Amino acid sequence: MTPTVSASGLSLRYGGTRALDDVSLRLSPGVTGLLGPNGAGKTTLLRVLATSVPADSGAFTVLGHDPGTPAGRQEARRRLGYLPQTPGFHPDFTAFEFVDYVAILKEMTDRAVRHREVRAVLDGVDLSDVRGKRVKKLSGGMRQRVALAAALIGDPGFLVLDEPTVGLDPEQRMRFRELIAQAGEGRTVLLSTHQTEDVAMLCHRVLVMAGGRILFDGTPAELTARAAGRVWSSTERDPGAKAGWRTGTGSFRNVGSPPAGAELLEPTLEDGYLLTLDDAEVPA
Amino acid sequence: MRLTARESLVPVLRTLPWRALAAGGGLGLLLAGLLRWATGEFGGWPALTLLRTAALAYALTLTFVLDDPARHTVSTVPTRRALRTGLRLVLVTPATALWWMAVVLLVPSSLRPPVADVTLEAAAACAVALAAGALATRLTDEPRPGPSVAAAYLLTAVLTPLLPHRWALFVWPADKGWEAAHERWAWVLVGALVALALCMREPIRRRRAPIGRRPGTFAPSGGTPSGGV
Repeated sequence: MTPTVSASGLSLRYGGTRALDDVSLRLSPGVTGLLGPNGAGKTTLLRVLATSVPADSGAFTVLGHDPGTPAGRQEARRRLGYLPQTPGFHPDFTAFEFVDYVAILKEMTDRAVRHREVRAVLDGVDLSDVRGKRVKKLSGGMRQRVALAAALIGDPGFLVLDEPTVGLDPEQRMRFRELIAQAGEGRTVLLSTHQTEDVAMLCHRVLVMAGGRILFDGTPAELTARAAGRVWSSTERDPGAKAGWRTGTGSFRNVGSPPAGAELLEPTLEDGYLLTLDDAEVPA
Repeated sequence: MRLTARESLVPVLRTLPWRALAAGGGLGLLLAGLLRWATGEFGGWPALTLLRTAALAYALTLTFVLDDPARHTVSTVPTRRALRTGLRLVLVTPATALWWMAVVLLVPSSLRPPVADVTLEAAAACAVALAAGALATRLTDEPRPGPSVAAAYLLTAVLTPLLPHRWALFVWPADKGWEAAHERWAWVLVGALVALALCMREPIRRRRAPIGRRPGTFAPSGGTPSGGV
């Protein structure tokens, strides 16, 4: 299958900070999760792939178009949707007007067709009831959905979502998961998040980044399997564990190198993630 | 492209900082009107000073014209930044021209300094303000650089009268350096317009591309992210 996004050797520095260090990847349809600690380079990678920020070196294509040329960048942008980490809005616009404005900027010039599609995406993110309400009057979760609607307008083949569930309550997060899962049907979604549950529930593939590099690229099951035999239970916090915490049952859950005869536990994706960072000597 | 521009006109019109422009413009009109309503004998200098202050007050508000709270949300749309920025300028320019005309007409004709020269000063002041806003947009990732740009602009304006006489911009009509100063104003205007035009374009490469990078690779200039790394 031809990948939606193909990148090789992407590097980018901000002053003395190496935000991306020779990143290469290929993305295909489905939801790919991007995990990493703060400062790992996730946002930078997303911004580069979304053509928002150029890289210092390296090359990539989005649906066959090279954003390294003005024409290629424009073609790539016609095919992608981007939800930034801190989406901004014109607060006096209504939800409908704002998404309509983004649709105009996405070159949807036929007003009737555009308005139909704006209504459809707002329905899709469950905002049809408040589409006439000003953005400044909407809750944080609703604004996030307006931003998702703006990213989805124009039916992009590549959707870039930067921590879309941050600041949402559990119910809103569940709703957002549904929306992302729907968005991932038939298109390529790259989802940056700190929530390992989001990745476990949504993604067919996961990338782990730290220090501007990709440390792991595989399925969530493969990432989980990295912790197999490395999670155990004890009555006291094991001093040899990389991480350990008391659970609701009163016993300690330890992650690291278990002592002989330890009572091993079923690992989770989060355990695999923590150990991947630890193996690379990155503080989680 | 033309269709996108036409469809964008109304929403872009609504995104402009009209309240700030109205405040700056209102202050300018008030300053110019002072001479009409004030009593007593005045020479030419208060009129020129008030016109310059009015132009500066309005130019300060122009530093907010390119502020865009939705900047990150629309950063990857196919409509080019040059068109989006150009539309804002196209919408602001006629309002600015009308405002300046009103300001000049408010000054009694007997006190009015050479209109063409003062208009050149005002145009240059406005162009510098817009160019500064465009430069901040180009070099930073800030959706609303206006307040910082306005502060820097104000500081520059306050320091400009301290320039040595051979580079002076603010001179009086009776000064023999008046014409030379307006040649310099013309250069300031041209420079600001060139800078504005250059900054409106979205770079395809970063400014400090490494030597030996193969052509065609994606390596343009962008701002430092304000969010995560």
